[in-house]
Amino acid sequence: MVTRMVDLRSDTVTKPTETMRVAMANAEVDDDVLCSDPTALRLETEMARIMGKEAALFVPSGTMGNLISVLVHCEVRGSEVILGDNCHIHIYENGGISTLGGVHPRTVKNNEDGSMDVDLIEAAIRDPRFEICYPTTRLICLENSHANSGGRCLSVEYTDRVGELAKKHRLKLHIDGARIFNASVALGVPVHRLVQAADSVSVCLSKGLGAPVGTVIVGSRTFIARAKILRKTLGGGMRQVGILCAAGLVALQENVAKLEGDHKRAKLLAEGLNKIKGLKVDVASVETNIVYFDILEGSNITGPKLCKIVGEHGILLMPESLS
Amino acid sequence: KMVTRIVDLRSDTVTKPTETMRAAMANAEVDDDVLCSDPTALRLETEMARIMGKEGALFVPSGTMGNLISVLVHCEVRGSEVILGDNCHIHIYENGGISTLGGVHPRTVKNNEDGSMDVDLIEAAIRDPRLEICYPTTRLICLENSHANSGGRCLSVEYTDRVGELAKKHGLKLHIDGARIFNASVVLGVPVHRLVQAADSVSVCLSKGLGAPVGTVIVGSRTFIARAKILRKTLGGGMRQVGILCAAGLVALQENVAKLEGDHKRAKLLAEGLNKIKGLKVDVASVETNIVYFDILEGSNITGPKLCKIVGEHGILLMPESLSRIRLVIHHQISVSDVQHTLSCIQQAVTGGPTENGDV
Repeated sequence: MVTRMVDLRSDTVTKPTETMRVAMANAEVDDDVLCSDPTALRLETEMARIMGKEAALFVPSGTMGNLISVLVHCEVRGSEVILGDNCHIHIYENGGISTLGGVHPRTVKNNEDGSMDVDLIEAAIRDPRFEICYPTTRLICLENSHANSGGRCLSVEYTDRVGELAKKHRLKLHIDGARIFNASVALGVPVHRLVQAADSVSVCLSKGLGAPVGTVIVGSRTFIARAKILRKTLGGGMRQVGILCAAGLVALQENVAKLEGDHKRAKLLAEGLNKIKGLKVDVASVETNIVYFDILEGSNITGPKLCKIVGEHGILLMPESLS
Repeated sequence: KMVTRIVDLRSDTVTKPTETMRAAMANAEVDDDVLCSDPTALRLETEMARIMGKEGALFVPSGTMGNLISVLVHCEVRGSEVILGDNCHIHIYENGGISTLGGVHPRTVKNNEDGSMDVDLIEAAIRDPRLEICYPTTRLICLENSHANSGGRCLSVEYTDRVGELAKKHGLKLHIDGARIFNASVVLGVPVHRLVQAADSVSVCLSKGLGAPVGTVIVGSRTFIARAKILRKTLGGGMRQVGILCAAGLVALQENVAKLEGDHKRAKLLAEGLNKIKGLKVDVASVETNIVYFDILEGSNITGPKLCKIVGEHGILLMPESLSRIRLVIHHQISVSDVQHTLSCIQQAVTGGPTENGDV
C-alpha cells in the first residue's frame, strides 16, 4: 500500500499543476541572454504592473533575488545594510551578501510580529560624521510576510513609516516579499500599495503561488538594468527560460486566489493543534500559511521524535528545535 | 506578407527545445531539489557524472555559474590566484565575477591561436611560495575546451594530460571549462571521460550545441560537488522543481551528441564557401568544430556591422566581433540549406552578385 504523502515542510514543495505543465510545454521561447525570451518578458511586464514598479527581472531563486537587490543597492564597497536579526536574508542565505558581495550587515531585533522598532532602525543608521571608522548605511530590508516569526504580516502603515525613515536618511528600502501575496491577501491591501514605499521587492513564484522555479525582482528601470548584469555575473542568466516563466504566469493568474484558502486551512490546523494536550500554538499569531507549534514541558516526546513518527504515516514536518 | 525565414547563427545557445524535449519537460517527475532531491535532476547528474568519469555532478542554471562555482570552490581560501588564458571565456565574458564576487586573483597566460597556453609559460606563472609575503597563492589552472575565442579549437588529450601533470606536480587543481567539451570529444575522436581525465572539475553546457533550453552540469569529486552545492545555493542557483529543465537536459544528452558531427561538417561547408567569396577570408584549417570566424579584407567596401545589418534584413543573424571580423556558430537547427542561403546572402552583400554555385 502506498502511503499518502502530506508534505507540510514548506510551500516550496508545490508541484506544477496540469495547466502549468501544458503552458511550459507550449511556451514560446528565445535566448534570454542574447536577446529577450518573449515569455520571460511577458512575465516580467505583468509582475512589474502588478507590483506597481517600472520593471522586473526573473531569477532562479529567492536567494538570488535578495542577493541581487542588496548588492545593487550597495554597489559601493564599504556599504552596510540594516535588517532583522531573524530575517531570511540574515539567517538562511549563507551570508552571501557579505561573503560574495562584501556588504556588512547591521541587525536590529525582530519583534514577534516580524517588524523592527522604527526608532531602533533609526539608531542603527550610521552617522556619516564617523565615516572614518564606520561603513556607510545604504539600505534597509524588511521581510513581508516574515517567515521566522510564523508568517506574520507587516502593515502598509508600518512599511510606509520605514520608507519615510529611509527617504529621510537617503537610504533605499528593499522588501523580501517572498510571500508578499500572502501578506496582501491577509491584510486586504493590494500588493502594489503594500510595497509602494519600497525601491525593490523580491517576489517568489515557487512558494504558495506554486510555480516550479523562480522569483521575480521588481524596481525602477535603472535598478533592473543593473540587476540584470549582476544576475549574469552570479550565473543566473538562463537561455530559453520562458519554459519556467510560462509556469510563473499561470501561478500569477490561477493561484493568488487560492491563498485565502491556504490561510483558512492553516488556521484550522493551528486551532486543532492547540487543542491537543501537550502541544501549544499561539493561534492569534497565525496570520498566513505558516504554523509553529511547541511541545510543552512534561510531554514525553521531542520534536524530532514526533516528526519521525508522523513521517512514517507520510506526514512530513520541519522540526525547528527539540520542542 | 512573406515571413522571412530566420537563420540564427549568433550562437549555439539559440537552440530551441525539440518536441521530445517539450514532452519530457511536460512529463518530468519533480520534487523540491533544495529541501530534498529532485528525481529528474538526480538522474541527469548521475548520468553526466558517469559519462564524464567523475564521482559527482551538479546542475546549474548557466555556464557562467558552472565556472564561477568551480573556481570559487577550488579557491576557497582568501588570497588565491588562478592561472587561465588571456582570451578565455572566464576572463573575458563572465563579468570578472571570480574577482568581484569571489575575491580570486586572475593570472593570465597568453592563449595561442589553437586555444592552448604554452606549458612552460603556465609553469612560469605559478607563484613561488617562498615569496608568499607579497604573492597570492596559486591554487588552480583553468583550460577551455573547445576554446571559443580561438574559433572553437580543440585541446588534445595529450596536451590536457600534460597540464594535468604540471598541476599535480605543484599541488594545484585543474578545471576545464568544457562548455563545448562534447564538440571537442567528437572532433578528436576521444571519449569525453578520457579527454577530461586529468581534470578535477569540468563545466559542461547542455544549452549550447546539445540544444537544451537551460543549464550546465559541473562534474568533479564527491567532496568538490558537496561544496559546489552550497556555493550554488549561496549564489542563488538553488532551484526547486528543477527537474523540468533537467528532463530536457537528459534528452539533449541522449539525442543530440550524435548530431554534433553534422554540425562540424556544415561549419566546414560554410567556412569553405565564405573563403571563396571575394573580399572575405577564412582560415579554413582552423575550423575544427562548429564555430567559424571570417574576416573582411582591406579594400572591401563593407564593414562587419554593415554586413550583419544587410544580411539581417534577410533573416540571417550573425555576431559581429569587430569592424572587420564576424563570428558564426552552427548548431543542429541550422540545415545545409540554411548554410547555402547564408552564403548566398553574404555573397550578395559583399559583392552584389550570386554565389559561385548559383544557389538561390
